[in-house]
Amino acid sequence: MSASSSQALDYLELLPRQTHTKLYEQPSTVLAIFRCMLPHIAKTIVMGMLYMPTPFAAVDLEAWFRPDGKKEREKALAVLEQLHIVASQQDDKRQLSYTLYKGFARSLRQALEGSGTHRSFGVPSSIPDPNRVTIPFLEEYARSQWENILFFMVGSTVGLANANQLGNAVGEGTKALLKAGDFIRISNGRVSITRAGFTFVLQETNAQVWSLLIVYLKHAPQLGMSETDVLSFLFMLGSLELGQDYTTSTLSPTQLQMLEDLSAFGIVYRSSKDARTFYPTRLAVTLTSDTGALSTSDPLKSSPVGSSRPNANKGFIIVETNYRLYAYTSSLLQIAVLSLFTKLTTRFPNLVSGKLTKESTTRAVKLGISSTQIVAYLTAHAHPQMQKTQPFLPPTVTDQIRLWEYEGERVETTTGFLMKEFNSETEYRDVLSYAESLGVLQWKNDSKRLFFVDRVEQISLYLQKKKSRV
Amino acid sequence: MNAIDGTDRQVRTEEGPPPSLLAVVLDTNPHAWAHLSTTLPFSSCIAALLIFINAHLASGNGNEVAVIASHTHRAEWLYPTPHTTNSPLHSYSTDTTEDGTNGVAQRDPKIPENPNKYRPFATVEQCLLSNFSSLLNRTSETHLAATPTTLIGGALSLALAYIAKSVLRHSPVDTGLENPLSALADSESSHATRVPLTSRILIVSVSGDLANQYIPVMNSIFAAQRKRIPIDILKLAGDTVLLQQASDATGGVYMKPEQPEGLLQYLMMGFLPDATARRALVMPGAGGVDFRAACFCHRKVVDIGFVCSVCLSIFCEPNLPNNLCLTCSSYLSLRAAQTATPALVQRVKKKRKKVGAGPATPGASTPAGSSTPVHR
Repeated sequence: MSASSSQALDYLELLPRQTHTKLYEQPSTVLAIFRCMLPHIAKTIVMGMLYMPTPFAAVDLEAWFRPDGKKEREKALAVLEQLHIVASQQDDKRQLSYTLYKGFARSLRQALEGSGTHRSFGVPSSIPDPNRVTIPFLEEYARSQWENILFFMVGSTVGLANANQLGNAVGEGTKALLKAGDFIRISNGRVSITRAGFTFVLQETNAQVWSLLIVYLKHAPQLGMSETDVLSFLFMLGSLELGQDYTTSTLSPTQLQMLEDLSAFGIVYRSSKDARTFYPTRLAVTLTSDTGALSTSDPLKSSPVGSSRPNANKGFIIVETNYRLYAYTSSLLQIAVLSLFTKLTTRFPNLVSGKLTKESTTRAVKLGISSTQIVAYLTAHAHPQMQKTQPFLPPTVTDQIRLWEYEGERVETTTGFLMKEFNSETEYRDVLSYAESLGVLQWKNDSKRLFFVDRVEQISLYLQKKKSRV
Repeated sequence: MNAIDGTDRQVRTEEGPPPSLLAVVLDTNPHAWAHLSTTLPFSSCIAALLIFINAHLASGNGNEVAVIASHTHRAEWLYPTPHTTNSPLHSYSTDTTEDGTNGVAQRDPKIPENPNKYRPFATVEQCLLSNFSSLLNRTSETHLAATPTTLIGGALSLALAYIAKSVLRHSPVDTGLENPLSALADSESSHATRVPLTSRILIVSVSGDLANQYIPVMNSIFAAQRKRIPIDILKLAGDTVLLQQASDATGGVYMKPEQPEGLLQYLMMGFLPDATARRALVMPGAGGVDFRAACFCHRKVVDIGFVCSVCLSIFCEPNLPNNLCLTCSSYLSLRAAQTATPALVQRVKKKRKKVGAGPATPGASTPAGSSTPVHR
């Protein structure tokens, strides 16, 4: 589970049970959720239970885990219950046991066995397309569409001369969506990027796509589309094959409407608005995987040798302990993003070099970029040579970037919930340890029996369950 | 606010578990499967195995799989299909897909379009089945009559070689293809700090009596041990000392199901968790492991044997031709050792009695016996 899929998971967790049940009717959706949303231990539990004829007794489940794996087990079960994949029940002897929800289990089995007639993994077009497009064309298409969006966002901040011209390439629908997601603000026809927008730009492409799609999902009901339909279509896109044309005849009206929006993002390609086929691009097929989408955005790496190594063509940034930064790139977008927080000095045909200075960092912080974002960006794009050490970045540099930020702001805010007024010490301890094992605990005060969490759904469930047991 | 002192400079780099490579060695010995046909026909074994492989591929986005058949007369690749020629178009496009074990795995153009099946699953299934049927077609009766056992040693070596190659390909530095030697040196040093790929081997074994391959299998076991590759054993029929030792030495799982019909559930519970998940789970152990070795001269499992003092080869009888070791050809006279054999057995018995008798101190239980003078 990577950063990109975790935000999709956060979104999924908040959906009601009816939506989940409806979603789980499609094997492709179930498979995609299983593949990229669940924590690793949760996958193990689900697979262990999938072909089990009887419910899995909680005692047996505990026996399966080592004592030090308790935290992971609790976390996995919490996610599974939250997503309505696993149900816990008590039998006559008050023994707790777990079962998989029937719909989920059936769909997952169908996905693994390839059985059923659900046709949810995309129906390839049976008629050969006269103007068939090649994979390199699709890559190029996706890249240009997506980079246009990013350029549109950062262009004005960096002060690129041709920012306006690039902005015209972005469709009105996309602009509205970016605005709705609070990534940009448009005042007097001038585009300015927000803090959320910086988070967006500094993410990996895959995470960016998900961020945008989640905004899209949240606004789907306003456009008269059903969330379930939109979600299952997205998960189906993730299981398609690059370079294959798929027919539109089996899609629902909602999904046809989505196709138009998605082709504006560069996620799918259609030769014309009323074409009977569509092609998923690299952005689509990597929706449900972690492999870097758009790895070809660096033209230097398009040599066949580089592309044959899955991890090799990701990073391009080298940071030295003396705060010098070298980025092997000629992409204007990447240079623009780097210039947000570095003082760039020289540019060569395949390389830009610069320095991380206090001035450049505080400037970035003023724009709304946090030090964590900077460090995360540098880590995510670290050159393979840097990846040989752990951590990738020199610790002095990470520390210093953080300290520069803290000079300006000394208070960190977290939104969440304060838990208080516990009846007894044992009750406090119990709930506290549960919160800790979920990883939602932010702060605690033992003497006053107070603690603070950033997520409350699972704790309230836990408390309800506790109450019903008494 | 504790974060301010910068002690947690690990900026959430955790990207989940590293991808995992599962190499399945499937014992396809027709003799043994014929014995099993009433409880577990081979076809249902393949079906269960395919579901298991799909489950493995689904468990992690970067997960890969390799399947090798250990047949009676040869070890054969079932997946990925080895290709001698690479068409440039494919090697360009398959790099990031699930089946992107590029170089060897190629997208087969013959895969039937099935909208009910996830594409990578269909690829594996198609390759595996077609390769297996071609293997069966190439097996003649003379091959079968020649030997009742299977070439597990060769299949293990293939699996290890493939894993080594995959690890190189996953290492972060792009040196592997132009200069394989430098990459090899590089991987040794960087391996300790960063594991880009965790691998394991699963042997689905049905044949007994593998002692005639003691040496190649043992060598593979030691190689796996050194590379920290666990070897899991699913023993459906027969029993061999050798494979039990393999899983014990490499820290793998050894399982001998009492009901082979429930193969899929055994696979899902016992063998699906990868190295990351195993850290949190209690894995089934082998129980008592038989550590006996097989002799190098007749490939028999021996309780007590004779060991060459130079190369540590094991022999079951002292009558070596010309008094030369069969392995290293150094002079080795075992006749003197022969007389000592009964004494050795006796001493063991004596020791046991002593321990049972009670007065022995821990020091007395060491074979001090008569040779070492003891102060009283």
